[in-house]
Amino acid sequence: MKTMSLEERIARRAFLKKLGAASTAAMMAGEPRLYGATETSDKHEVVNPAPRADACILIWLAGGMAAPETFDPKRYLPFEKGLEVDKILSTFPAIDTAVDGLKISAGLENIAGVMDRATLIRSHVQPDLGSILHSRHQYHWHTGYVPPVTVAAPHLGAWMAKVLGPRNPVMPPFINIGQRIEGVGEQEELKAFTTAGFFGSEFGPFNLPYPEDAVQAVRPPEGMEPGRFANRYQFYKKLVDQNPHREFLSDYQQESMLRSFDNAHRLLGSKEKDAFDLELEPKEVRERYDTGRFGRGCLLARRLVEAGARFIEVTTEYVPFLHWDTHENGHETAKGMKAEIDRPIAQLILDLEERGMLDRTLVIIASEFSRDMLIEGVPGSTARDQSRAKSETLQEMKHYGLHRHFTGGTSVVMFGGGMKRGFVYGATADERPLVAVENPVSISDLHATIYNAMGISPKLFYEIEKRPFYTTQDGKGQAVMELFA
Amino acid sequence: MREKFGVLGLVTGLLIGGAWGDEVDFSHDIVPILREHCADCHLGKKKKGSFSMNTRKDLLAGSENGEVVTPGKGAESYLIETLSTDDADIQMPPKGDRVSPEQIETLKRWIDGGLKWEPGFAFGETNWEPPVQPREVALPKAIAGRDHPIDRLLDRYLADHDSEPTGAVGDVTFIRRLYLDVLGLLPEPEVTTAFLADASADKREKLVDAVLSQDVDYAEHWLTFWNDLLRNDYAGTGFIDGGRKQITDWLYRSLIDNKPYDQFVRELIAPTPDAEGFINGIKWRGNVNASQTREVQFAQNLGQVFLGINMKCASCHDSFIDRWKLKDAYSLAAVFAEEPVEIHRCDKGTGEIAKAAWIFPELGEVNPDAAQPKRLRQLARLMTDPGNGRFTRTLVNRVWHRLMGRGIVHPVDAMHTKPWDEDLLDWLAVDFAEQGYDLRKLIRRIVTSKAYQAPMAPTPDVADAEDYVYRGPIARRMTAEQFIDAVWQITDTAPASPVADVMRMKIVPGQYEDIEVTGKWIWSNREGVPQAGEVATLRKVVKLDKKPAKAFATISADNEYTLFVNGRKLRDDANWMTVESVDLGGAMKAGDNEFLVVARNAGSGPNAAGAFLEARLQFGENDEQRVITDESWQWTAREPDKRGQFGRPVEDWQPVKEAPGPWADRLAPQVRAGLARAEGAGDRMVRASLVKSDLLMRSLGRPNREQVVTVRPEQLSTLQAIDLANGDILAALLKRGAVNLLAQHSGSSSGELIDALFREALCRPATGDEREVLVQLVGETPSEQGVEDLLWSVLMLPEFQLVR
Repeated sequence: MKTMSLEERIARRAFLKKLGAASTAAMMAGEPRLYGATETSDKHEVVNPAPRADACILIWLAGGMAAPETFDPKRYLPFEKGLEVDKILSTFPAIDTAVDGLKISAGLENIAGVMDRATLIRSHVQPDLGSILHSRHQYHWHTGYVPPVTVAAPHLGAWMAKVLGPRNPVMPPFINIGQRIEGVGEQEELKAFTTAGFFGSEFGPFNLPYPEDAVQAVRPPEGMEPGRFANRYQFYKKLVDQNPHREFLSDYQQESMLRSFDNAHRLLGSKEKDAFDLELEPKEVRERYDTGRFGRGCLLARRLVEAGARFIEVTTEYVPFLHWDTHENGHETAKGMKAEIDRPIAQLILDLEERGMLDRTLVIIASEFSRDMLIEGVPGSTARDQSRAKSETLQEMKHYGLHRHFTGGTSVVMFGGGMKRGFVYGATADERPLVAVENPVSISDLHATIYNAMGISPKLFYEIEKRPFYTTQDGKGQAVMELFA
Repeated sequence: MREKFGVLGLVTGLLIGGAWGDEVDFSHDIVPILREHCADCHLGKKKKGSFSMNTRKDLLAGSENGEVVTPGKGAESYLIETLSTDDADIQMPPKGDRVSPEQIETLKRWIDGGLKWEPGFAFGETNWEPPVQPREVALPKAIAGRDHPIDRLLDRYLADHDSEPTGAVGDVTFIRRLYLDVLGLLPEPEVTTAFLADASADKREKLVDAVLSQDVDYAEHWLTFWNDLLRNDYAGTGFIDGGRKQITDWLYRSLIDNKPYDQFVRELIAPTPDAEGFINGIKWRGNVNASQTREVQFAQNLGQVFLGINMKCASCHDSFIDRWKLKDAYSLAAVFAEEPVEIHRCDKGTGEIAKAAWIFPELGEVNPDAAQPKRLRQLARLMTDPGNGRFTRTLVNRVWHRLMGRGIVHPVDAMHTKPWDEDLLDWLAVDFAEQGYDLRKLIRRIVTSKAYQAPMAPTPDVADAEDYVYRGPIARRMTAEQFIDAVWQITDTAPASPVADVMRMKIVPGQYEDIEVTGKWIWSNREGVPQAGEVATLRKVVKLDKKPAKAFATISADNEYTLFVNGRKLRDDANWMTVESVDLGGAMKAGDNEFLVVARNAGSGPNAAGAFLEARLQFGENDEQRVITDESWQWTAREPDKRGQFGRPVEDWQPVKEAPGPWADRLAPQVRAGLARAEGAGDRMVRASLVKSDLLMRSLGRPNREQVVTVRPEQLSTLQAIDLANGDILAALLKRGAVNLLAQHSGSSSGELIDALFREALCRPATGDEREVLVQLVGETPSEQGVEDLLWSVLMLPEFQLVR
């Protein structure tokens, strides 16, 4: 009989132990296979660019942040009863920034002070998907593909986790702060893109919906002392060693399972787990950030990046009709949202800079689309008007604000990560429709830019179900090279 | 390649000097030109622009842009144009040396002469194309008495691959493997003990038959497999606005009744309303890519699920990986479409309208002019035609993959890949059809083989399917549902009721006719027709000597109701056409029991209103008491608060009266079914397949069923390990489980408790070494925390988490 002897099995296990998780994963066919990242072949000449950044923080202002109320102010008219709404483009005045001649919207005074570190894109555009549905546009923005897709598409963060791996082996490479995916409207739709898709859960998000509770995610279960938790694992390892089937179980699966438990306990017992604990931050720092859940999320993001996280998303949380999703009373809501984001974002930039990390950390502020006072979608769109405060003239405060979803011109801000400083790219029209009139940047091209900064080719692909699946749709994204310093 | 040229040389040698005369010599003149200039893109497996010259057939099939050569018309052939032109956009080859004018002239003459080709010649290995027809396979002789057909085939395979069979696993391994594979459950320790004690020679076969006859357990395990394949779930994208429909009840009944697979598929393709959710796919809001319309989803899902054909590529453009063309995908889509469908290439309309057609015309045709329901029926027949060997092979391969760890064709959705043993696959497919497409007989066939009962072989460390050599079955990781079910079994922590609205028993027609419905529809005794919005709080107090062992009710109201029992809200519903089943058990007690039904009428003017309840309280065998709505109930117009309490006592309880209405007759079948369901549900554990996915199941790989899913993750990832190490959901189960286990084994020593857990989880007692380690963890006298940690340690063992 030609079965493996015990010695052979042990030798084989030792061999397998040397292999990393990725290479063993590749052994199982049906797993996606990488093409062309570093080696060139006759077929696929894909070469990853040299990375400009090692870590990435995506600040996601979910729900449709209105560019005219934030980073692209237009003609402002204060509230006045009877005012014709089609005269209004912005409901806030513009303010000066640290960059000569660059103005952004009032309420963002702290961010204005760090705009000299920023690249501002004012011409980001999204396709009109026929019906404005936040989760569909967010799916598109986060995966680069318009849903539905025939295979489960990976999130931007999952791509970085898969291609670049963890920056610090103890830290989960893809961390998602501030968004619940249970117990909120459109939760199934949110789950559809908050995933590593066909890459498998190893590369999926480590979800921390409440920053103040993040430490729970790396602590022993509730009611279990750390000593007991560590002890339990010690006993477990002893038990594994005593297992009579130890040498006869499928070596590959057993090893990968044990390695994963080891990785998990390494994080849960590491000093890095302290990064998840906001209480360890000095009180005055916490107060500087603490405008609410989002502000605390920014502080958590800073701590996690310091501890070696690769990709972090921090969101103001998408909940239908809340936060940036202003279907009525837009002015007041936007005022509140700006108050929530202004201090923490600026502080995050300053803190990263002070620690010498800004150059190698790419920070992106983005949203699924912009908003307009009158136009739903883009001019000519058949999308249904979803404003809940319809009136041709201002009658009450709830009419005052940008209540339609607008996909024709959106602002994106990028800091650090090799981007230019104090730079503005693209422009929108000065009169309605406020569409991008100069250098429009599509989602594919924006992603290509982000991937480029991180050292990933927009043409990189994995083969899944025997077809190529690219970082940017069909491998066609082109980085906007003018944005790099 | 070299070998092929050897053969070629021989063949041409015979032909030279014969009929070919002055004509172009294919092997000497043509082959070298094509190899020199075209090999990089169009020979072997390469087919850039969907164009291959690997075989004559490929060449004649042309490219995605149409014909490339016209036999007999060299000068007019597109091939010659691309070779001769200076237009950089179309010139071939696009890079490298041009083909010389002499060579072009030779090619032209070759085309003029009708493209003579060596019979059977291919430049490289052809893409293996599975035959459509089923193939009878003669079984080899049995070796050493191993006469099971699968073993006869595999023994020959192993011998051909310089290998031997590896013997059989022991009974303990066998019973655990069999239970998890076929029922998705752990065998109860008594079952294992009885099986081990059985000395009969055919005890494994007997066990297999016993397991396969556990209809409910079987159905609730394979429900997961089919939910993945048919993308059926209780929640998910698309349900939000009615763009998607469950097929749960149909699927559950089909599995429990062991519906023959051909009929099963016919009912899915040409469905009744309860099965239409599969072909209707998901209707997405807003604009979708042309390759994701419901018609095209239909083509993709049918191709993938039933044939292992990837139509996803071909629904955008002609496939680069197999022979399927854009037109094939759209022809299939057009069978389903109720409106004309324009063929779109890469999301751009081509102006061409798709014509309904079936992709294997050798089996017959769909009439494109017939109405949609008829086309679907024709398609259903063609798909399940006895001549469609691809249909049976695909299914057989999927089941083999589940039971043996790897498909005979791998991956399971690429059925154009050459199987590692064609005879085995073909034999199983024919056998499956001969046995009446009986899925349980197929499983029986596989699990009764020695091959299934062999020790696990090492997981193959080759990514490429072509190099795989079968050595034996491969260990599988438990699916999320298997793991959760096993945890619930061991810790006795399953949820109280399923989300799936199914009757958890086999239904025999007419079976419930004898269930007597005695409850009456009642309402307030007010004069006249009840007003819209009128509320009647209905009450009955039932005095019991003791708490019933089991208590359940069926209830309905026109239009809506909330049910409180002893101040606990148990159920509400606003659909007057449905009857709900409610477990009353936890709310009942000895002494006075108060039933409160807060019923409300709806509508825009006066209309009929009524409420109904029929409960069974069971105290033991043949000791049953009923609670029914009748004239003995009382009502008040006052409404209780959310806890079923009245702020000040009700002083105006009045008698109710029977309410006239159409309900009794219309809803009686539902009431009977509901009573039977509640009765049948008994103490049967709720299974993970019957509830919505939660964060733990999601983490462990239960998919969002927006796309068809055919395989689950094989590896435990780090994030999953974190969830298992400190996640709330598992921690809570273990905490409750420790309490339950201690109660169940009160008075036992730690050693006894450890042994009991091992027997349940691993089907074996702990070894002395293991017991020694674990007694230290649990303490001499088991504590709650100790048992919690013991549970965790055992449930995390690879030995536990693998089906091996």
